[in-house]
Amino acid sequence: MFARLANGNVAPKRVIEGQATNLSRTMHGIAYDAIHDEIVIPVALGGAVLVFKADASGEVPPLRAIQGTRTRLVRPHTVAVDPVNNEILTADPSMRAIVVFDRTANGNVAPKRVISGENTGLLDIVGLDVDPVRNVIVAASRKGNGDKVGIFVFDRLANGDVAPKQFIGGPNSKLAHFRQVAIDPATGNIFLAQQNTRMKQMEAYVLDKPREGYSGRKAKSDDDDDDDSDSGRLDQMGFIAVYAPDDDGDIPPRAIIKGPGVRLAGAAGVALNPKKKEIITVGGNGFQTFLLPDFFKPLKKLAATAQR
Amino acid sequence: MRRILISTAAAVVVLCAGRMPSPQARSAGPPSADDAASLEELLAADCLDGAAMQVAQAAERLPQEGGVASDEWPPRALGGVLPPIRSVSDPFPTFDGVALDTVNDRVIFSDENRHSLLVYDRKAGGASNDVTEPEQWVFGPKTRLGYIAGVEVDPPRKEFYTVNNDSGDLLTVFSYDDHGNVQPRRSLVLPHQSWDVSLAPKRDEIVISIQQSNALSFYKRTATGTAAPIRTIRGLATELEDPHGVFFDDAHNEVFTANHGNWTQIRPYSPYDPLVTDVGEYRSGAFHPSAITVHAGDANGDVTPIRTIEGDLTGLNWPMGMDVDLVHDEIVVANYGDSSVKVFRRGDKGNVQPVRVLRGALTQIVGPVSVAIDTKNDELWVANYGDHTAAVFARTASGNVRPKRIIRNAPKDTPTCGFTNASAAAYDSKRDEILVPN
Repeated sequence: MFARLANGNVAPKRVIEGQATNLSRTMHGIAYDAIHDEIVIPVALGGAVLVFKADASGEVPPLRAIQGTRTRLVRPHTVAVDPVNNEILTADPSMRAIVVFDRTANGNVAPKRVISGENTGLLDIVGLDVDPVRNVIVAASRKGNGDKVGIFVFDRLANGDVAPKQFIGGPNSKLAHFRQVAIDPATGNIFLAQQNTRMKQMEAYVLDKPREGYSGRKAKSDDDDDDDSDSGRLDQMGFIAVYAPDDDGDIPPRAIIKGPGVRLAGAAGVALNPKKKEIITVGGNGFQTFLLPDFFKPLKKLAATAQR
Repeated sequence: MRRILISTAAAVVVLCAGRMPSPQARSAGPPSADDAASLEELLAADCLDGAAMQVAQAAERLPQEGGVASDEWPPRALGGVLPPIRSVSDPFPTFDGVALDTVNDRVIFSDENRHSLLVYDRKAGGASNDVTEPEQWVFGPKTRLGYIAGVEVDPPRKEFYTVNNDSGDLLTVFSYDDHGNVQPRRSLVLPHQSWDVSLAPKRDEIVISIQQSNALSFYKRTATGTAAPIRTIRGLATELEDPHGVFFDDAHNEVFTANHGNWTQIRPYSPYDPLVTDVGEYRSGAFHPSAITVHAGDANGDVTPIRTIEGDLTGLNWPMGMDVDLVHDEIVVANYGDSSVKVFRRGDKGNVQPVRVLRGALTQIVGPVSVAIDTKNDELWVANYGDHTAAVFARTASGNVRPKRIIRNAPKDTPTCGFTNASAAAYDSKRDEILVPN
């Protein structure tokens, strides 16, 4: 936890770590519940979602842990909290599902709703947020073949194998290798952190065996740089994209933050401070804060877009 | 929207290659704006110092060539190339893995923060508050180093190995003659989230620990490219749970593993794997205590460990890198969770107390990630992730004692952000804080 005004090379104010916390690596999501003053975090390597007191520090156990056979969780990756409707939402790329629990769920409990299946279009779900004002769930999901790579908008109460009500993606969107999603509650504007305009590269292994037919990433010495790092290539660099809440189709962002020196080529996470009109982006080994009041206003419709 | 030059990356490569870049940062503070600086100067600085702000400002002044850098895309959008108002990052290396060569008097560290390997004289370090200059480093885009963790050394062949834990899924091997931005002598594609590597000289094999699949995979030492493992220890019976440090004991034909205790089933999950509904038997995730497991050196498949050190008395808490002293029959482990180093007997099993613990303010052990034992010179090395140092102790040091000498990769008291390759953030409106999971 860092002070909002932290700048430069600074140590965190607080750290939650150690065996008793049940945290691990690969925590690719986090949500703060301002009403109940709690932090919610998915633990991919433990198949769990943990809830901590927001002022926790040091080696402290979680207040609650959602884990067990009834949860069906495998590798929860990203998380959102809906303090208005008292729900915790997580997305699990191994389940290929968005899973909704009661906010106070603890232990081995079944989800209230699961959004998953062919009709959803979801696969590698890496970003998730919920808008209790407009009653929608927004998810970011990727497919290696380029089909259905983008932002999926579902009714908040969607359940089962249902189609999204909106989808933002396609060649005009340049969406490819993205992660965290955040929604501005006042406007419903959707913020997405994209690490790279090149799709995440195929991993060489499936479980503990080399992937059949894998031929990528041989010992090349050129600029075939890694899939997750900030590549530095400006033609492929990542960005923070912003969309209006009713955007749909193969459209470019309505607003964007990009730049070669701001680590946005590796921007994986995005968080919002609507009061101060600040956007926090995190990627690689650092985070940056941008002051952009216009991004927290209703976005105007574009005249010539490919809205469906 | 301002314009930016698409060839910036190439310029970075050229500049880095031309100047033999060092992972050592020049300054700890945030970069200051310098409008008079040329792009080349700024990029060179970024190459060394991470001067993100200057690069962004320079880029605003430059013409475009296309891609997302183009000011034509996205059309009529708000924003564009924008500098941040604040930027937090650590421009210095961090010590993660450590490997010791007492034959050639070298010590090699992996640096997860700057993606480099740093090589020092074994006798380096002291009481200075200044940065200890490495004798050799491997750093730059040609090296293919990513978020590297474990490091291993092969003194007879004068080679050192490291594992990309994230970003690259690669084992890379370098020679003692390699310096700067150089290609690895050979590389081997590994499963994602591989963490540590250990040599098994008699078998001419290497063993790799893999976090996400809770496995140990063995390869021929000289394996390259996409060579498959020759055997893998994996499954519920193995008690491998979020494995980190690994050590192959050639003398007793055993393999030691430090486990954090997290466990979950692994299923195909990537964007390239299909949507599969029939995944067989489901087993839920679990949190187990940290443990050190010992398997037979030729184990294969879902096999039980020969011995396990686990329980309250052990004090194991996020154990990371480990080393085994075959002269004095001791296991030494970097216990990250409570900033200590714990020593067990090599044959220990069950819920046992360590024979020695190094811990306390005097030790200057902060977030240790790995250890190395020097039986020749009777010393113990500890690589601290938490404060830009490595500490060298007498091998039998115990309790809250001062190290014999310190190696620094940043000036004394330089902070570290404490995270690498973060992928999410949240804002705590009550405390006015930014939350970053790692």
